Amino acid sequence: MPSRREFLQRSGFGIGAVAASGILGGLGELDADEAESSPLSVRQPQFAPKAKRVIHLFMNGGPSQFDTFYRKPVLEKFHGKTVPKKFTEGLQRTQRNRAGTAFVTPFEWKRYGKSGLEISELFKHTAQHADDLCVVRSMVSEIANHSPGMFMMNCGHSTLPRPSLGSWVLYGLGTESESLPGYVVLLPQGSPTGQSRNWTSAFLPGVFQGTHIETQKEELIPNLTRDDVDPRDQRSQVALTRFLNNRHRNLRPTDGRLESRIHSMELAFRMQSSATDAFDVSSEPEDIQEMYGRTPHGRMMLTARRLAERGVRYVQTYHGNGQPWDQHSGILTAHKRNAEQTDQPIAALLTDLKRLGMLDETLVIWSGEMGRTPTIQTGQKNPEKVGRDHHVDGFTLWMAGGGVKGGFEYGATDELGFQPTENPVHVHDLHATILHLLGFDHKQLTYRYSGRDFRLTDVHGNVVHDIIA
Amino acid sequence: MLAESFANPGSAEGSVYFERHIRPIFVHHCYQCHSEEEGEQKGGLLLDRASGWLDGGDSGKAVIPGDLDGSLLISAVRREDEDSAMPPKKALPANLVKTLEQWVQRGAPGPADDMGETDFSLLGDQEHLFGVAEEHWAFKALEKQEPPKSADPFWNRTRTDRFVRKKHLENGVEPAPLARPRTLVRRLHYDLVGLPPTPEEVDAFVEDPRAMPVRVRAVVDDLLERPAFGEHWARMWLDVARYADTDNVYRFDTQTPYYYPYAFAFRNYVIAAFNEDKPVDQFIREQLAADHLDLPENHRDHAALGFLAVGPHHRGNAKNDYIDDMIDVTTRGFMGVTVSCARCHDHKFEPIPTADYYSLYGVFASVERPNPWEFDKFPRVKGFDGSKQQQADYEEERAALKPPKERKGSNLPQGEVKFAQVDLSQLHISHDGAPVRAMVVKEAKKPMIEPVVFERGDAGMKGEKLKRHFLSVLDPSKKEFNRKNSGRLDLARHITREDNPLTARVFVNRVWGELLGSHLVGTPSDFGLQGERPTHPELLDDLAWQFMHEQDWSLKKLVRSIVDSRTYQLRSDVSAEDALGVAESIAPDVENRWLWRGHRQPLSIEQLRDSVLKVAGTLEEQLYGRSVDLWADEYSHRRGVYGFVNRFNLDPTLRAFNFPSPNQTQATRPDSMVPQQALFLMNSPIVVDQARSLVNSAEFSSATSNEERISWLFRQVYQRPPHPVETKRIGVFLEKQVKNEADAWPLVAQSLLMSNEFIYLD
Repeated sequence: MPSRREFLQRSGFGIGAVAASGILGGLGELDADEAESSPLSVRQPQFAPKAKRVIHLFMNGGPSQFDTFYRKPVLEKFHGKTVPKKFTEGLQRTQRNRAGTAFVTPFEWKRYGKSGLEISELFKHTAQHADDLCVVRSMVSEIANHSPGMFMMNCGHSTLPRPSLGSWVLYGLGTESESLPGYVVLLPQGSPTGQSRNWTSAFLPGVFQGTHIETQKEELIPNLTRDDVDPRDQRSQVALTRFLNNRHRNLRPTDGRLESRIHSMELAFRMQSSATDAFDVSSEPEDIQEMYGRTPHGRMMLTARRLAERGVRYVQTYHGNGQPWDQHSGILTAHKRNAEQTDQPIAALLTDLKRLGMLDETLVIWSGEMGRTPTIQTGQKNPEKVGRDHHVDGFTLWMAGGGVKGGFEYGATDELGFQPTENPVHVHDLHATILHLLGFDHKQLTYRYSGRDFRLTDVHGNVVHDIIA
Repeated sequence: MLAESFANPGSAEGSVYFERHIRPIFVHHCYQCHSEEEGEQKGGLLLDRASGWLDGGDSGKAVIPGDLDGSLLISAVRREDEDSAMPPKKALPANLVKTLEQWVQRGAPGPADDMGETDFSLLGDQEHLFGVAEEHWAFKALEKQEPPKSADPFWNRTRTDRFVRKKHLENGVEPAPLARPRTLVRRLHYDLVGLPPTPEEVDAFVEDPRAMPVRVRAVVDDLLERPAFGEHWARMWLDVARYADTDNVYRFDTQTPYYYPYAFAFRNYVIAAFNEDKPVDQFIREQLAADHLDLPENHRDHAALGFLAVGPHHRGNAKNDYIDDMIDVTTRGFMGVTVSCARCHDHKFEPIPTADYYSLYGVFASVERPNPWEFDKFPRVKGFDGSKQQQADYEEERAALKPPKERKGSNLPQGEVKFAQVDLSQLHISHDGAPVRAMVVKEAKKPMIEPVVFERGDAGMKGEKLKRHFLSVLDPSKKEFNRKNSGRLDLARHITREDNPLTARVFVNRVWGELLGSHLVGTPSDFGLQGERPTHPELLDDLAWQFMHEQDWSLKKLVRSIVDSRTYQLRSDVSAEDALGVAESIAPDVENRWLWRGHRQPLSIEQLRDSVLKVAGTLEEQLYGRSVDLWADEYSHRRGVYGFVNRFNLDPTLRAFNFPSPNQTQATRPDSMVPQQALFLMNSPIVVDQARSLVNSAEFSSATSNEERISWLFRQVYQRPPHPVETKRIGVFLEKQVKNEADAWPLVAQSLLMSNEFIYLD
């Protein structure tokens, strides 16, 4: 049984910080025990946060920055030609071979909003929110492949099993939802590459692990309800159990866990109706359902909003099974199909969060695990078949709400997009920044395991202050 | 023109120069990554002390006083080489570069009150860490202990109590009284066999007129011989061994996990080993090297190798990951050292150089791991077979599957072969009549006798070549392992040598923690410099010494010696009103570090589930067998230890109840509480059904009054009679609160199963 001492020792907060920030400070022994035994209860971050929660829209497979949010007009000049060597000299060995024939985006681009961000037709609905988007165009990751890329983006390490960002966030902040899991991963159909390792709590306690929910399945939370008993009878039964528990506890007055478990049962009783409600998108008004679209992705985005609204701390959504954005061939058709599935739902999510006044304190992240090359990998002869290879040196993601600058572009790559030339942002920097927005110094959010204080960013990471509003 | 060199770089003049001209440059441009204050020493370099730049970092000396061209710091700020240019993002203005050059030329004086070596600067310094290790308790040889005498005869009876009593006195705590007989007999049953006693067993113990130590011994003798003992204790070991029935990924083509059809043989092996009281040193050797121990070909104990084989990372070019897993489970599981941290660089906090990691890498890289679905690659073993009837039944089901011919020459489309493999795997994993094979690892055709270090853990960056040897902190001679094979037997022998200071300590600490509810060393898989210190070092050493030298590595003897102690038998439900003397001691030691009372423990999910079935009279107590579904609507009635563990997607009920992730070795289960646990008790089919089983029983039905019914339920579930206020309250529930009367009694029975008294063991 982990003692309170152990909890505090393991937490990077340190006892002094804990007392000062009011996590456990000033509470009597019994209350402290209670706080200890409920690792999910709300905790204050280290400083005033900009964002209270995160919705991470994961475009697994690696969408092409050149066909979505980062236009490279110079590619037109090189289109169909071999890329000069000077662009690829500094690349990692494995990436250097990816020179080859340049390929300009086949999609239409327009400028949107007051900010005039240039966005391709693939995301023409999302583009209506251009003035809320903070587009980071100089993202850098480490290994140009899917599993390492996914693990890097989610867990801060390409190869070793480490806790995911969502687990760290839950560990740091607890959850505001009294009746739902605090970290929910929504899978519309099947699992992404790397599967549950993407939302693992690794060595953090299991309560911080993501709860993945296959939104196409019937039973979202096991044992949520029973239908063979009148709810009023069950309420009486919970009351009877409370009586037995109170008497049991009164004979053992020094054990705070017993009281916590009494509360926990009452919370569970409430959860029976609240969780059923959270996942029931059909209770939304018709026009809202229509706005999101009555598709798997539409329902998933709407569910994400309903969860965020109910205090779930970290929601992550995946595009689909495996790596649907991985277009080694057929960018034209497959990127188009993917975008058609997600563009309108994402735009609806942003609209809806704004409508509810939630966008300010909800950090929305749109990203893949990497980007793609400016050059052709396959299908040189047939534009329909053209595909692009993996690329980790300068890919693009965007964030919105949660304290980031809107209508803002940050960082740049060279003319052709091979390497970052301005303000490179490593995934560690992204993680440091996300934690900062949530009120944490990424160096101080630590957990002692296997003889060492671990943190999400390991020994790396710098907060990118320039993108913070 | 250059200023003159300082005659003595440590002079007052020199340090003023440093503080005035050099420190400000460092503060603004360098300390973010190279100072203790910022907690960073990138590249191993510190610029806040003279030793920092003189000794330098990973790339060598940063400053050689007087030698501009030889000083890496100067070439870095001059940006001579793009890769090592510093500061990384923005060049230093030329005048500052010039200042630094002058500083180096003038002898690079440092601060007046130089910090010198600090804990921070010593991070990762292996020479220093080996020095510390010499004085570290866990690396010191185990010595025979003489337990201190206690003046109190009650505390002088067992060796354990004498050590514990001494700590009571030193820390000013007064022990609680002994647990009441009913509590004690329940505790013994749960701790030894993982199940509640029957009401009759409780009565027999409570009414036994003999002295308490005699009564306890009699019950312990009985429990140690029950097959349930091995089933219960196996679960502890399966957590350490990160047991699961599947890999951590699943097949996209068939949408199923990658099954491990013979993982169960390892589980059965562990159960058998504990039931037969196999000496634990042998148990360890078999798990690492059963194939080198001259076992007969079809011997059951080949399944011991499942310890290595049942880990994750089977699929997908993950060889380095599964080797890492094998290193981790072996070193943390058996010895409590965190070797896998030295995969990318020398361990920062422990005396584990990278060379030790790659020594073991060479051992496990010499192991072949057959594909779990290529059944023939695993040896048939005898001893866990199903009945004749089950076997016949299996043959029938297998024939009905119409499996493809073996892959070679098969003209079936590839996809169908895959589906057939999955069907067969599912049959093998679940059917008790299927042939029993051991999930083993094998010697590779050619052992890797000279592994190379991967710099920074990157398999693409090959470094120094090594000879394979044991951890150098435990074997300074670094005797090379056998060059003819993987070296697993050598490794196993080193681990189980009587002069290995860790192995016995680690094992007895695990057993102590299981029994007492808290460990003597709070980090059971980390006995290194960073681990916690033992609360009772002499007691731990005594237990370990006795375990090796007097108890012949017998788990049963070890368990017996612990539960025989007064320390184990103390009350946990101490409160102000029943023990004033104790109440005073609550303030200084709430956490019970000094073992003045018993620990109240929540039942594990396996114990909870088994108990629900047991008190309802529907538990199937049959030893061994395949993995079963514990949570489906058509759930098995077998014990939880036999549950199918899906590593890819751990069952939500297991997850909710802190079942540890089987992706890594696990030392303890956290004691956390989430509402899903309560939902399980309120709504899961198994609890709802078993509440009904209770009231459908003949005994319940034959009761003639509500009082009798309530009494029977309490006896069955809690093994005690109800208190009059409880009877009265249930009467109120029955009369007034329930709308649907048919539901009333099952709801009452379930209420007892949902209660804290059922879930917490006093």
